[in-house]
Amino acid sequence: MTVDRTALIGRPLRAATYTVSEVDVNDFLGVVAESDFAPTDGSEGGTEAASGRLAPPSFAPFVAVLGLLKTFDWQDDFLFDYRTGTAMFGEQSIEFHRPLLVGQSVAISAAISDVYEKQGKQAFDVVEVTFDIKSSEEGDLLMSGQQSYILFK
Amino acid sequence: MAPLSKACFEDYDISMALPTIELGPMDRFDYIPIALILRDTNPLHLDRVYAQERGLHDVVQQGPLNQAYLYRYFTSLLHDPWDLVATKMRFAANVFPEDTLTCGGEVLALAPEEAGGGIVTCAVWQRNQKGETILKGKVKARIPSRR
Repeated sequence: MTVDRTALIGRPLRAATYTVSEVDVNDFLGVVAESDFAPTDGSEGGTEAASGRLAPPSFAPFVAVLGLLKTFDWQDDFLFDYRTGTAMFGEQSIEFHRPLLVGQSVAISAAISDVYEKQGKQAFDVVEVTFDIKSSEEGDLLMSGQQSYILFK
Repeated sequence: MAPLSKACFEDYDISMALPTIELGPMDRFDYIPIALILRDTNPLHLDRVYAQERGLHDVVQQGPLNQAYLYRYFTSLLHDPWDLVATKMRFAANVFPEDTLTCGGEVLALAPEEAGGGIVTCAVWQRNQKGETILKGKVKARIPSRR
Protein backbone atom coordinates (compact mmCIF):
# COMPACT_ATOMS: atom_id res chain seq x y z
CA MET A 1 0.00 0.00 0.00
CA THR A 2 1.37 3.43 -0.94
CA VAL A 3 1.46 5.95 1.89
CA ASP A 4 0.86 9.62 1.09
CA ARG A 5 2.98 11.57 3.57
CA THR A 6 2.40 15.03 2.11
CA ALA A 7 -0.36 15.60 4.67
CA LEU A 8 2.40 15.54 7.31
CA ILE A 9 3.83 18.89 6.12
CA GLY A 10 3.54 21.43 8.91
CA ARG A 11 3.09 18.81 11.62
CA PRO A 12 4.73 19.90 14.87
CA LEU A 13 6.75 17.17 16.60
CA ARG A 14 6.97 16.67 20.34
CA ALA A 15 9.25 18.80 22.49
CA ALA A 16 12.31 16.95 23.81
CA THR A 17 15.40 17.50 25.90
CA TYR A 18 18.91 16.09 25.64
CA THR A 19 21.82 16.48 28.02
CA VAL A 20 25.26 17.00 26.49
CA SER A 21 26.73 14.65 29.06
CA GLU A 22 30.35 14.50 30.11
CA VAL A 23 30.35 10.73 29.52
CA ASP A 24 29.11 11.11 25.94
CA VAL A 25 31.58 13.91 25.13
CA ASN A 26 34.50 12.04 26.70
CA ASP A 27 33.59 8.84 24.81
CA PHE A 28 33.31 10.89 21.63
CA LEU A 29 36.72 12.52 22.19
CA GLY A 30 38.16 9.05 22.76
CA VAL A 31 37.34 8.35 19.10
CA VAL A 32 37.48 11.77 17.43
CA ALA A 33 40.46 13.25 19.25
CA GLU A 34 40.28 17.03 19.16
CA SER A 35 43.39 19.01 20.04
CA ASP A 36 41.35 21.92 21.48
CA PHE A 37 38.99 19.73 23.54
CA ALA A 38 40.63 17.31 25.93
CA PRO A 39 38.54 14.66 27.70
CA THR A 40 38.18 15.09 31.48
CA ASP A 41 38.51 12.54 34.27
CA GLY A 42 34.80 12.73 35.12
CA SER A 43 35.33 14.45 38.45
CA GLU A 44 33.62 17.69 37.40
CA GLY A 45 30.18 16.03 37.27
CA GLY A 46 27.13 18.24 36.98
CA THR A 47 28.97 21.48 37.55
CA GLU A 48 30.46 21.53 34.06
CA ALA A 49 27.75 23.61 32.39
CA ALA A 50 28.36 26.25 35.04
CA SER A 51 32.13 25.93 34.62
CA GLY A 52 31.78 26.60 30.91
CA ARG A 53 33.62 23.61 29.45
CA LEU A 54 32.85 23.65 25.74
CA ALA A 55 31.89 20.63 23.69
CA PRO A 56 33.54 20.51 20.26
CA PRO A 57 31.50 21.63 17.24
CA SER A 58 32.14 18.16 15.78
CA PHE A 59 29.77 16.83 18.46
CA ALA A 60 26.93 19.01 17.12
CA PRO A 61 25.71 16.48 14.52
CA PHE A 62 25.33 13.97 17.35
CA VAL A 63 23.28 16.43 19.41
CA ALA A 64 21.02 17.14 16.43
CA VAL A 65 20.56 13.45 15.59
CA LEU A 66 19.99 12.38 19.19
CA GLY A 67 17.75 15.29 20.05
CA LEU A 68 15.61 14.92 16.96
CA LEU A 69 15.14 11.17 17.43
CA LYS A 70 13.36 12.05 20.68
CA THR A 71 10.91 14.36 18.90
CA PHE A 72 9.13 11.82 16.70
CA ASP A 73 7.82 8.31 16.45
CA TRP A 74 8.56 6.65 13.13
CA GLN A 75 5.09 5.12 12.85
CA ASP A 76 2.92 7.84 14.38
CA ASP A 77 4.68 10.87 12.91
CA PHE A 78 6.28 9.57 9.70
CA LEU A 79 3.80 6.74 8.91
CA PHE A 80 6.82 4.44 8.64
CA ASP A 81 7.33 0.92 10.00
CA TYR A 82 10.91 1.03 11.28
CA ARG A 83 10.90 -2.75 11.95
CA THR A 84 10.41 -3.69 8.32
CA GLY A 85 11.32 -0.57 6.35
CA THR A 86 14.64 1.01 5.47
CA ALA A 87 15.39 4.57 6.55
CA MET A 88 18.52 6.68 6.19
CA PHE A 89 19.66 10.11 7.25
CA GLY A 90 19.68 12.57 4.38
CA GLU A 91 21.01 16.09 4.35
CA GLN A 92 21.70 17.94 7.58
CA SER A 93 22.12 21.70 7.84
CA ILE A 94 22.92 23.55 11.04
CA GLU A 95 23.32 27.21 11.90
CA PHE A 96 25.35 27.80 15.02
CA HIS A 97 24.24 30.59 17.33
CA ARG A 98 26.07 29.78 20.58
CA PRO A 99 28.59 27.11 21.62
CA LEU A 100 27.43 23.89 23.28
CA LEU A 101 28.51 23.35 26.87
CA VAL A 102 29.31 20.00 28.41
CA GLY A 103 26.68 19.20 31.04
CA GLN A 104 24.13 21.45 29.40
CA SER A 105 20.57 20.24 28.99
CA VAL A 106 19.13 21.47 25.72
CA ALA A 107 15.53 21.74 24.53
CA ILE A 108 14.63 20.63 21.01
CA SER A 109 11.57 21.76 19.10
CA ALA A 110 10.88 20.51 15.59
CA ALA A 111 8.28 20.31 12.85
CA ILE A 112 7.94 18.54 9.51
CA SER A 113 8.63 21.29 6.98
CA ASP A 114 8.45 19.34 3.73
CA VAL A 115 7.81 15.91 2.26
CA TYR A 116 8.55 14.94 -1.32
CA GLU A 117 9.07 11.81 -3.33
CA LYS A 118 12.28 11.02 -5.22
CA GLN A 119 13.18 8.20 -7.52
CA GLY A 120 16.57 6.51 -7.40
CA LYS A 121 17.10 2.79 -7.95
CA GLN A 122 14.07 2.63 -5.68
CA ALA A 123 11.38 5.21 -4.88
CA PHE A 124 11.66 6.98 -1.54
CA ASP A 125 10.11 9.83 0.40
CA VAL A 126 12.27 12.62 1.82
CA VAL A 127 10.87 13.98 5.08
CA GLU A 128 12.45 17.30 6.05
CA VAL A 129 12.37 18.35 9.68
CA THR A 130 13.17 21.90 10.75
CA PHE A 131 14.48 22.27 14.28
CA ASP A 132 15.60 24.70 16.97
CA ILE A 133 17.85 23.68 19.83
CA LYS A 134 17.80 26.05 22.81
CA SER A 135 19.43 26.20 26.21
CA SER A 136 15.92 25.65 27.66
CA GLU A 137 12.39 25.88 26.26
CA GLU A 138 12.45 29.68 26.54
CA GLY A 139 16.23 29.97 26.53
CA ASP A 140 18.91 31.11 24.11
CA LEU A 141 18.99 29.64 20.64
CA LEU A 142 22.06 27.41 20.29
CA MET A 143 21.54 25.70 16.95
CA SER A 144 18.86 25.72 14.28
CA GLY A 145 18.59 23.82 11.05
CA GLN A 146 17.11 21.04 9.04
CA GLN A 147 17.50 17.28 8.97
CA SER A 148 16.05 15.11 6.25
CA TYR A 149 15.13 11.44 6.55
CA ILE A 150 14.99 9.12 3.57
CA LEU A 151 12.19 6.56 3.83
CA PHE A 152 12.34 3.86 1.17
CA LYS A 153 9.03 2.66 -0.27
CA MET B 1 46.00 14.99 12.95
CA ALA B 2 48.72 17.51 12.15
CA PRO B 3 47.68 21.06 13.02
CA LEU B 4 46.78 23.19 10.03
CA SER B 5 47.75 26.80 9.83
CA LYS B 6 45.12 29.24 11.05
CA ALA B 7 44.75 31.64 8.17
CA CYS B 8 43.37 35.17 8.46
CA PHE B 9 40.58 36.59 6.31
CA GLU B 10 43.08 38.38 4.04
CA ASP B 11 44.75 35.04 3.28
CA TYR B 12 41.64 33.58 1.63
CA ASP B 13 40.83 33.91 -2.08
CA ILE B 14 37.84 32.59 -3.98
CA SER B 15 38.56 29.18 -5.59
CA MET B 16 41.53 28.65 -3.27
CA ALA B 17 41.92 25.02 -2.28
CA LEU B 18 41.97 24.27 1.43
CA PRO B 19 44.72 21.97 2.70
CA THR B 20 43.79 18.30 2.63
CA ILE B 21 44.27 15.77 5.39
CA GLU B 22 44.17 11.99 5.43
CA LEU B 23 42.56 10.03 8.26
CA GLY B 24 42.62 6.39 9.07
CA PRO B 25 42.49 3.55 8.62
CA MET B 26 39.03 3.53 10.18
CA ASP B 27 38.74 1.20 13.17
CA ARG B 28 35.66 -1.00 13.72
CA PHE B 29 36.21 -0.87 17.48
CA ASP B 30 35.46 2.86 17.37
CA TYR B 31 31.91 1.99 16.33
CA ILE B 32 31.10 0.59 19.79
CA PRO B 33 31.43 3.87 21.75
CA ILE B 34 29.74 5.73 18.90
CA ALA B 35 26.81 3.27 19.02
CA LEU B 36 26.55 3.89 22.77
CA ILE B 37 26.61 7.67 22.33
CA LEU B 38 23.98 7.49 19.59
CA ARG B 39 21.85 4.95 21.54
CA ASP B 40 21.81 3.04 18.25
CA THR B 41 22.89 -0.59 18.42
CA ASN B 42 21.79 -1.37 14.88
CA PRO B 43 23.80 -4.53 13.98
CA LEU B 44 24.58 -3.00 10.59
CA HIS B 45 27.26 -1.00 12.43
CA LEU B 46 28.51 -3.76 14.72
CA ASP B 47 27.91 -7.25 13.29
CA ARG B 48 29.93 -8.15 10.18
CA VAL B 49 27.89 -11.29 9.46
CA TYR B 50 24.63 -9.34 9.70
CA ALA B 51 26.02 -6.71 7.28
CA GLN B 52 27.25 -9.39 4.86
CA GLU B 53 23.83 -11.05 4.89
CA ARG B 54 22.51 -7.72 3.63
CA GLY B 55 24.94 -7.52 0.72
CA LEU B 56 27.61 -5.34 2.32
CA HIS B 57 31.20 -6.52 2.61
CA ASP B 58 31.55 -5.30 6.20
CA VAL B 59 29.86 -3.22 8.87
CA VAL B 60 29.04 0.40 8.02
CA GLN B 61 30.63 3.26 9.95
CA GLN B 62 28.01 5.51 11.55
CA GLY B 63 27.20 8.58 9.45
CA PRO B 64 27.54 11.10 12.30
CA LEU B 65 31.10 9.84 12.84
CA ASN B 66 31.94 10.59 9.20
CA GLN B 67 30.46 14.05 9.71
CA ALA B 68 32.44 14.55 12.91
CA TYR B 69 35.70 13.93 11.06
CA LEU B 70 34.76 16.52 8.41
CA TYR B 71 33.75 19.00 11.11
CA ARG B 72 37.04 18.44 12.91
CA TYR B 73 38.95 18.96 9.69
CA PHE B 74 37.29 22.27 8.93
CA THR B 75 37.22 23.65 12.47
CA SER B 76 40.95 22.84 12.81
CA LEU B 77 41.50 25.60 10.22
CA LEU B 78 39.72 28.17 12.40
CA HIS B 79 41.24 30.37 15.07
CA ASP B 80 38.45 29.23 17.41
CA PRO B 81 36.48 26.07 16.48
CA TRP B 82 33.28 27.81 17.57
CA ASP B 83 33.82 30.46 14.88
CA LEU B 84 31.84 27.97 12.83
CA VAL B 85 28.68 29.72 11.55
CA ALA B 86 26.82 27.10 9.50
CA THR B 87 27.14 23.69 7.89
CA LYS B 88 25.20 21.78 5.26
CA MET B 89 26.25 18.20 4.51
CA ARG B 90 24.91 15.34 2.47
CA PHE B 91 25.83 11.66 2.67
CA ALA B 92 26.89 10.15 -0.64
CA ALA B 93 28.42 6.76 0.26
CA ASN B 94 29.23 4.46 3.18
CA VAL B 95 32.50 4.16 5.08
CA PHE B 96 33.82 0.74 6.13
CA PRO B 97 36.53 -0.45 8.55
CA GLU B 98 40.07 0.00 7.20
CA ASP B 99 38.98 2.77 4.83
CA THR B 100 41.18 5.83 4.73
CA LEU B 101 39.42 9.17 4.37
CA THR B 102 40.67 12.37 2.83
CA CYS B 103 39.07 15.69 3.72
CA GLY B 104 39.43 18.83 1.67
CA GLY B 105 37.66 21.86 0.37
CA GLU B 106 37.63 25.03 -1.66
CA VAL B 107 36.74 28.65 -0.92
CA LEU B 108 33.45 29.64 -2.56
CA ALA B 109 32.71 33.11 -1.20
CA LEU B 110 34.14 35.85 0.99
CA ALA B 111 31.98 38.38 2.82
CA PRO B 112 33.95 41.04 4.71
CA GLU B 113 32.42 42.41 7.91
CA GLU B 114 32.57 46.04 9.01
CA ALA B 115 34.20 45.18 12.30
CA GLY B 116 37.04 43.41 10.45
CA GLY B 117 37.53 39.91 9.17
CA GLY B 118 34.56 38.28 7.54
CA ILE B 119 32.58 35.19 6.69
CA VAL B 120 34.24 32.57 4.52
CA THR B 121 32.05 30.05 2.70
CA CYS B 122 33.72 26.84 1.57
CA ALA B 123 32.75 23.67 -0.22
CA VAL B 124 34.02 20.70 1.79
CA TRP B 125 34.27 17.05 0.94
CA GLN B 126 35.36 13.72 2.31
CA ARG B 127 36.50 10.90 0.02
CA ASN B 128 37.67 7.35 0.56
CA GLN B 129 40.83 5.68 -0.76
CA LYS B 130 39.06 4.87 -4.04
CA GLY B 131 38.24 8.53 -4.62
CA GLU B 132 34.54 7.98 -3.93
CA THR B 133 32.80 10.91 -2.29
CA ILE B 134 31.52 10.05 1.18
CA LEU B 135 30.27 13.46 2.27
CA LYS B 136 29.96 16.77 0.54
CA GLY B 137 28.65 20.08 1.64
CA LYS B 138 29.16 23.72 2.43
CA VAL B 139 30.43 25.38 5.56
CA LYS B 140 30.63 28.98 6.73
CA ALA B 141 32.90 30.41 9.38
CA ARG B 142 33.87 33.76 10.81
CA ILE B 143 37.55 34.47 10.16
CA PRO B 144 39.39 37.30 11.92
CA SER B 145 41.44 39.91 10.20
CA ARG B 146 45.21 39.98 10.60
CA ARG B 147 45.00 43.68 11.58
